Amino acid sequence: MSEALRKLKMELKGPLSLILLAVTGILITLPLLVRNPFLINTLMLSFLFGFAALAWNLMAGYTGLLSFGHAVFFGIGAYTTMILLLWWRITPWIGMLAAGVTAGLVGFVIGIPFTRLRSHWFALGTLALGEVVQIIFINWRAVGGARGLETPIMPQCLYWLNFVDPTVHYYVIMGLLGVELFILYLIVNGRIGYYLQAIREDETAAMALGINPFKYKLISITISAFLTGIAGGFYTARFGYVDPFSVFGMMYISINISIIGILGGIYSLIGPLIGALVFVPAAEYTRAYIGSHFGARFYGIHLVAFGIILLAVCFIVPDGIMGWVERRGYIRAILGHGEEGVGGGE
Amino acid sequence: MNISSDTDSRNGYGNVFIHKACKNEAENSYGGQVMVSAMAIAQAVISGLLIGSLYSLISMGLALIWGVMDIVNFAHGDFMMVAGYLTCILFDYAGVDPLLSVPVAFAVTFVLGILTQRFVIDRVLEAPPVSQIFATFALLMIIRNTALLIWGPKPTTITGLWYAELVFRPYGLTLSLIHILIAVICMVTTAILYIFITRTYTGIALRATSQNRLAARLLGIDIRKMYLLAFGIGVGLTGIGGALLASFYYIFPEVGARFCMLSFMIVVLGGFGSLFGALVGGLAIGVLEELSALLVNPALKDAIAFGIFILILLFKPTGLFGGRET
Repeated sequence: MSEALRKLKMELKGPLSLILLAVTGILITLPLLVRNPFLINTLMLSFLFGFAALAWNLMAGYTGLLSFGHAVFFGIGAYTTMILLLWWRITPWIGMLAAGVTAGLVGFVIGIPFTRLRSHWFALGTLALGEVVQIIFINWRAVGGARGLETPIMPQCLYWLNFVDPTVHYYVIMGLLGVELFILYLIVNGRIGYYLQAIREDETAAMALGINPFKYKLISITISAFLTGIAGGFYTARFGYVDPFSVFGMMYISINISIIGILGGIYSLIGPLIGALVFVPAAEYTRAYIGSHFGARFYGIHLVAFGIILLAVCFIVPDGIMGWVERRGYIRAILGHGEEGVGGGE
Repeated sequence: MNISSDTDSRNGYGNVFIHKACKNEAENSYGGQVMVSAMAIAQAVISGLLIGSLYSLISMGLALIWGVMDIVNFAHGDFMMVAGYLTCILFDYAGVDPLLSVPVAFAVTFVLGILTQRFVIDRVLEAPPVSQIFATFALLMIIRNTALLIWGPKPTTITGLWYAELVFRPYGLTLSLIHILIAVICMVTTAILYIFITRTYTGIALRATSQNRLAARLLGIDIRKMYLLAFGIGVGLTGIGGALLASFYYIFPEVGARFCMLSFMIVVLGGFGSLFGALVGGLAIGVLEELSALLVNPALKDAIAFGIFILILLFKPTGLFGGRET
């Protein structure tokens, strides 16, 4: 950890701190300058999906465990927050933390058998797991079944994190995102991060070097599940309604998160966030535009376009936007230092 | 008073009578239930085998692609959906019987498969698994949402087939003609496939490629051609499945999703890349689903099947019939 901290300090001495300050400054002042709830809401959604995709990437990008079942953690997080709120009137602030802990526990338990699986098999197993959990929640009457659960009527205040306007949620998810990026930076640049990447590259070689793949894969899954659970909790706090089809949705959550990750670049820390900032606004704006200009009949168009873009990404830049930017040497040029800065927390 | 006593006595009498009747009824229904449930189990097994033959057909297509090229085709079910729509259109506009449009569906999906292999899969064959998975996933998005654009989200179905309502009742079982016909077509297709891969040069070359790519190439087999053929046939089998599905089920843009998941499961269950395993696995999953729908809960039948899939994946990754492990 201390090594990672030292590296961060060194990187912050360069132009990185200026870039960080500028970006954060713009993002913080944006809602004050632009009175456009749709834009703020879209950015908030981007941050939410970026948050989940960053968590997904710890598993997919850094550990090589391609998960298609992250909706399990997301949904369990969302349901935890909702149930705490609905049954015991516990504030979503605590609820989000509880969501993370519950999802982390679930991730730990699931991880014990699932770490045995590799590449295709892990993807298929998690895909099936997502379906199983969704079907269970659809048929589980005590937690609302297929109808889902709705938050009680609450006053609009910070304690209940209940606002119609997206601005407060925008700041909250931005703060959470900052914390997450910091934590992930420490993990990825610390001992654990190097172990995880060694396991991804060659598990047998990693074992020969004395790394226990089981242990570190489990750590990776647990942390990833914990963070995804928090994203689920935030979903509840924002939307006030959870149902198995949306929070456990294979397409809406699991696949979207992974597409965002792939698009942004799974071998870089910041990649999934960039992917979310490209993908979600593009999806939201085309959806709104098509809906208002052509009618609901043409709703498939933007998804066809995303399919084509995804195909192009697989063909041309398999390492995503950030991978491409990195390969062209732009990051090195901007940050102005050598190899060790590449792939860090820019 | 008189009347009331009369009613009382009648009630009393009636009650006794009703009690007796109830008891009889209960005994009858109890006995009947045991009989019915034995019958119901037989019925479920037979229905499961009939629907399972369709699962087998689709899964053999997936197993062929998976075995020969090491590609997990996530868009598998969507080719099925395309064939289903094709069948519906042929029926609506030309009055072609869905069972007669099976060869057409095969031909069209075969060509689609070859084009897919040539222009999409070929480019990611050497890429890391992530790119392969997402390339087929992108295909899924494109095909499914194009279908959504063209035909809309509403399910369509073929109505007014003369044999759709025909039902046999041998020994108290209920068998609909259409399911039997579908099972027969599936079995015939399987037999043709079997003869093709065991008796013809091309088929043997295909199996050789599946077993060892490098050795096959050294023996002068044109690997690229084999890939084209494998993807074409694999997707074509799904096309046949789609045409058959259209004859008794609804077709909508997402119809392939469930069948795709099921065929992944069946291929893993039967042993990766094994056609025989896929055949048996499909029948087994069909029976399992029908039985769990009958004995546990129809809503949970997919959950049970997927749960068993996960268990097999975790504890017997070579499948029940011992395929090769990767």
